[in-house]
Amino acid sequence: MITEKEIEHVSRLMRIDVDDHKEYVAKVHAVIEYFDILDSAGVESEEISMPEVSISGLRKDVHVPFDEKLIEKLNHYKGTYVRAPKMSS
Amino acid sequence: MNLKISALEYVQGVKNGDISAEDFVAQTMDRIKSIDNNLCAFLSINADAVIQAREIDKKIKSGKKVGDCFGMPVSIKDNICIKDSKTTCASKMLENYISPYDATVIKRLRQQDAIFVGKTNMDEFAMGFTTEFSAYGPSKNPWNQDYVPGGSSGGSAVSVGAFECVASLGSDTGGSVRNPASFCSAVGYKPTYGLISRYGLVSYANSIEQIGPICRTVKDAAFMLNMISGVDSNDNTTIDSRGTDYLQDIECDIEGKKIGIVKEMTGEGTDPAVLSATKDAISKLEGLGAICEEVSVGMTKYSVAAYYTITATEAGSNLARYDNLRYGYDFPLEGYEYNSYIAKARRNFGPEVTRRIIIGGFVPSAGHAGRYFLKALKVKSKLTKEVNELFKRFDFLVSPTVPVLPFKLGEKIDDPVSLLAIDINTVTANLTAKPAVSVPFSNHNGLPIGIQLMADSLQDKSLLQAAYALEQTVSLPEVPI
Repeated sequence: MITEKEIEHVSRLMRIDVDDHKEYVAKVHAVIEYFDILDSAGVESEEISMPEVSISGLRKDVHVPFDEKLIEKLNHYKGTYVRAPKMSS
Repeated sequence: MNLKISALEYVQGVKNGDISAEDFVAQTMDRIKSIDNNLCAFLSINADAVIQAREIDKKIKSGKKVGDCFGMPVSIKDNICIKDSKTTCASKMLENYISPYDATVIKRLRQQDAIFVGKTNMDEFAMGFTTEFSAYGPSKNPWNQDYVPGGSSGGSAVSVGAFECVASLGSDTGGSVRNPASFCSAVGYKPTYGLISRYGLVSYANSIEQIGPICRTVKDAAFMLNMISGVDSNDNTTIDSRGTDYLQDIECDIEGKKIGIVKEMTGEGTDPAVLSATKDAISKLEGLGAICEEVSVGMTKYSVAAYYTITATEAGSNLARYDNLRYGYDFPLEGYEYNSYIAKARRNFGPEVTRRIIIGGFVPSAGHAGRYFLKALKVKSKLTKEVNELFKRFDFLVSPTVPVLPFKLGEKIDDPVSLLAIDINTVTANLTAKPAVSVPFSNHNGLPIGIQLMADSLQDKSLLQAAYALEQTVSLPEVPI
């Protein structure tokens, strides 16, 4: 049985403010309970295969210049730096 | 001018000199202006569409080479990037996001001289089945505006169904192209995984999602596939389609083809009207010489739980980037305590996205991964084996696209578990990477019903042939708008 407290804990780890989203916890709980159906699928012995891509199949690890300066599109770009919110711990 | 023509009729009309791209696009934009306040198919409009169409006409007149779309007005789901235009994903989080580059599909359509009329409404970040989870209000079904148009690519299906464009691109993670196509009486095509590049599609669940066309006819869908499919160095999951022409031989008959009727998708929980339409479709297919037989895909029962577990997990990871530093909405640069800053930055996600992020953290977490995420992957693996076995004996699988008729706006929004069941017939194609198509087939009391056909991987061409054959057997009423 999953408790709402566990869901709240995970929400914080996912950086979702649960005080703000308390109303969702019950719905999340209902969906996760629905997932219990997976217990009766009888797939314990099933192997999982993952698609493999060989290194040679990946695109070359080289710098591809972008055709314009994206940094200039940032709202707080000041010409020589970008302003970000001040943080305290 | 008749805006109700198909994409191929449009192209032929412009080639013959019967249609001017500028006139057609101008009238399309007028139609959007006059009816879209009610339908809400669009989130933004391309103000330069008519000017761009005029350029195409000039090119044609001066004898220059013109791309195969000849200025065709196309709408694009708002999670596909068009350079220098807004891509909001119907989220407050990306309200002011301007894409700095074109998605590969956009680049290809642009090279073929398509005109992008606007970006279409959707469920926020493509998470939903009705378009009601758009942060900008739901789209309405053109067949009856009290009803949902389906989702998540609801705006795309509405724009095609209400003649606000000739064709559209949506994205399909669990049925998001096929479901709204079915609800709005359009053709919705989900290709084999890898056939169309996802570069420039805002990521939600990368391992199973695909861009797909929503069109008026099966031939139009084949034409769109010709325009946008093929290998792309920016998406290493793409497959080389080796220049396949999906339109060529599309009228090939399906005599002798073997079709499996999926028992689990035509039984309990299916609306009687939908079931009756499905039976009718099967007899039509048999009338064309196909051999139909009931088959079982035992894992169907678990497919939605597996689908939701896998997609929520990928969403939890993909949406971590919306932290208001790299992406996000803007707020004042005052001092913040770190955790409260991040929580505040992510407060602008809507309810369904918030739920899926929480679930996406929960199901793969250390204490629960074995029970949920790992089991979901095992279901996916077993489901793939079951379907692969069937495709050794059958050419296609048939089912209704959606087990229920379109329902009223607001009817199911508060019950996430009952909403999940809507995807039961469509998620299998995503989980197994197979191509699938929804063909408009019937109309019950003014509400459309679509039939789904699925084929083995890379059998897209023969799937379109079967869809075309089925499409030819029906004559449907015109949308009352």
